[in-house]
Amino acid sequence: MNKKTKAVVLNLLAIFLFYTVVTALILTGTMNNYLSNILITVLITVIMTASLNVTTGLLGQLALGHAGFMAIGAYVSAIFTKSVAMGFGLSLPISLLLGGLVAALFGMLIGIPALRLQGDYLAIITLGFGEIIRVIIENLSVTGGAAGLTRIARMSRAFSEDRALSSAIQFTFVFFITALIIASIFTLGRSRHGRAIISIRENAIAAEATGIPTTRYKLLAFTIASFYAGIAGGLFAHQTSILNAKMFGFNKSIEYLVMVVLGGMGSITGSVVSSVVLVALPEILRGLAEYRLIIYSLLLILMMLFRPKGLLGTKEFSMLGAWERMEAFFRRVFKQKQAQTRMPFQPRYDVWENKPVLETHKLGIAFGGLKAAENISIQLMDNEIVGLIGPNGAGKTTVFNLLTGVYAPTEGQVVLMGKPVQGRMTHQITMDGIARTFQNIRLFRSMSALDNIKVAFHSRMRYSTFSAIIRNSRCLSEERGIDVRARELLRVFGMEDLADVNAGSLPYGQQRKLEICRALASNPKVLLLDEPAAGMNPSETSELMQTIKTIRSQFSVAVLLIEHDMRLVMGICERIYVLNYGCVIAHGSPEEIRSNPEVVAAYLGQEQAELAQKEADDA
Amino acid sequence: MNLFLNQLVNGLHVGSIYALIALGYTMVYGIVKLINFAHGDILMVGAYTAIVTLVSLNWPAPAALLAAILMCVLFGVVIERIAYKPLRSSPRISSLITAIGVSMLLQNAALLIFGAQSRPFPTLLQVPPLRFLGLQVSFITVLTVAVSALLMVILQVFVKASKAGKAMRAASEDYNTAQLMGINVNTTITLTFAIGCALAGIGAFLYVMAYPAVSPTMGSLPGLKAFIAAVLGGIGIIPGAMLGGFVMGVAESLTKAYISTQMSDAVVYGILIVVLLVKPTGLIGSLSREKV
Repeated sequence: MNKKTKAVVLNLLAIFLFYTVVTALILTGTMNNYLSNILITVLITVIMTASLNVTTGLLGQLALGHAGFMAIGAYVSAIFTKSVAMGFGLSLPISLLLGGLVAALFGMLIGIPALRLQGDYLAIITLGFGEIIRVIIENLSVTGGAAGLTRIARMSRAFSEDRALSSAIQFTFVFFITALIIASIFTLGRSRHGRAIISIRENAIAAEATGIPTTRYKLLAFTIASFYAGIAGGLFAHQTSILNAKMFGFNKSIEYLVMVVLGGMGSITGSVVSSVVLVALPEILRGLAEYRLIIYSLLLILMMLFRPKGLLGTKEFSMLGAWERMEAFFRRVFKQKQAQTRMPFQPRYDVWENKPVLETHKLGIAFGGLKAAENISIQLMDNEIVGLIGPNGAGKTTVFNLLTGVYAPTEGQVVLMGKPVQGRMTHQITMDGIARTFQNIRLFRSMSALDNIKVAFHSRMRYSTFSAIIRNSRCLSEERGIDVRARELLRVFGMEDLADVNAGSLPYGQQRKLEICRALASNPKVLLLDEPAAGMNPSETSELMQTIKTIRSQFSVAVLLIEHDMRLVMGICERIYVLNYGCVIAHGSPEEIRSNPEVVAAYLGQEQAELAQKEADDA
Repeated sequence: MNLFLNQLVNGLHVGSIYALIALGYTMVYGIVKLINFAHGDILMVGAYTAIVTLVSLNWPAPAALLAAILMCVLFGVVIERIAYKPLRSSPRISSLITAIGVSMLLQNAALLIFGAQSRPFPTLLQVPPLRFLGLQVSFITVLTVAVSALLMVILQVFVKASKAGKAMRAASEDYNTAQLMGINVNTTITLTFAIGCALAGIGAFLYVMAYPAVSPTMGSLPGLKAFIAAVLGGIGIIPGAMLGGFVMGVAESLTKAYISTQMSDAVVYGILIVVLLVKPTGLIGSLSREKV
């Protein structure tokens, strides 16, 4: 047993021991109702905070209405147990599930319009929805109006006649639900779905261009968070036995947000720790009476001043890295054989020789009155390296944005392998076979180099969200498959040693290479490189030229590249298109382009061009 | 019709106070991109200053107003220096949480010093309501709307025409470049907080004249509403805050009159949501799209 496996076993033992000791204390009556009640509050808060961390930490979207979903779950669940005649042991779990589902439904309905917004605007709109939920609950008769609901069955009494036993069952019930939810957030976070969600936080534009359906994943994260908040609400209702819409106001949402940030956005263990501390702290400070909240708020400010990224930042305890080791350990214990390695499925492209893989017909776009690109007809043959050059502001990147669906063309069309890509979303176009890099590097900076590549494999994996949560063999085998593939890909670029380094801390040249590597991982037929040599020194550029040639032959892609470094362009491009003022002004072999007077004029100005021409003639 | 006009006037009254507070939110947001959650509590600080100077110290009203303004400015500037400045290069959410912490601190400190019970604010003006086209308009309403409108015009002129105003606009456009152009960004930010808080001080005085109750948590609700007004108009834009404030005030008072008092908050939030969905950057905000 190695050290880390030991640590995991110890962790699990500690959790189990904690559970047993607390249960024993409750059963023997040593732990009074007040204390066990605080404990339940802690657990419910843990669910709320961890689920909010899915939206705010993992997805990176600020949400200020989380308490609204808790309210929905609480009311649905309470109304259900109050109105059905069922044993409490049965009706409670059903009601929780129901509360969670209704909250998730609302999360989805609210998320569809709201998630189009970003940053502070999303924060405000979620605040608005949260408050509307509260006001509506306050004004419905089924929810008891302003007076709220009372006499909801209390978990600490309703499970059994015996008070101590009922309390113990309550603790067991809430403890295991919390543990399951936390575990599911962990497993989800480590799956392809979790990577997709985190990649949106890191760089939404790059995520979309890497083949992630960003809108769908934003909605998924938001819905999951609402589902868990709904369950927490149901538990809360049956803990307090009274509900009032005022309990779920804006301040409540803020309270949970504070916990998420204090624990560290993106760190689930951080959320757990901060929930425990922040629920317990006011109780511990209770002796200080009126100074309590002052101390609390001062601690909050000081904490932020000295640790702006929260207790744990985005880090996790030993648990995260150890999760797989724990599984391996259990597998050994139970002599289960290892899951198979399933390679990601490879899209099959038809052999396309001698026909253009990518064509544009009279492509153009106008922003208001300004035509940024006009009448652009270019062709890219299979396995060809083509340059796209032109002075600054000529519209080169605009062409890339048109090809990848970032902009919708106002005229003309793009044809990829004989099929028009009209109206396709960026992530769909990536899956169809066009991958790109960006002029200003857009990596998922706080993800490892390996995970950056794995994100690009997303669309070629098949396992579902549910498989991801329970980590079944399907999920494990596919994960193992892409691990092999991603490492292979890194090896091609000589970066296998950097697999676990965060993309943001790689040196500049390696970042450029990693971005190309990530683009290739989506298995494109056409690779668009936007100024790959920008900021490179001559020897790095030479290396890059070699790399591009290798890519072309190894991965059988056509390369279209924007570049200002003429040595690179003239050195490796078979054909060149020259763009000026949004139009193609010339096209041909490097030699033809070099001597084309129009091109020289575009770069040097008409007068200089004439001078150059004269000099050439004289010579 | 008369009811409608009366409600419209009431809406303008509340709206102009929202607008004054919203200006503080929007100016600060424009430069440091911080939602200053403590701004509503600055209003509370102003209100307590006013009531203490007026009632306990027996100062005349103009002196109390001045004291309220100065106290608000002092609080705003000190809070900025101690709590927000060190976090300028941290993730934005950290300063947001700090702002929430400051807000809690101010509320609880006031609770400790003044107690939870709300204090009545003395009536300062015994002027009979004005009659106007068959409408009865209280003098405070006229005063509030007039003072707010005047202040907004002054602010707009200041920001557009003065050197310091130009520095503020430059800093809000691009903080780092402004620094490179020789603008002392620290001074500019301090000035922004000072102006915002001075307006909140005046707003506080006008607010307690209309709603004469001073309590530790009195700033939360108008603060939240003013903030929403700022977003509604387009956060970071000064005329947007004014427009948003008036829209909020009028919408709120018309809902209370015609739909339902309990639902007025829901309607206000509903308007906010619809506006944001149709025009994500607020009524007069312009879209800045991330360049790919």
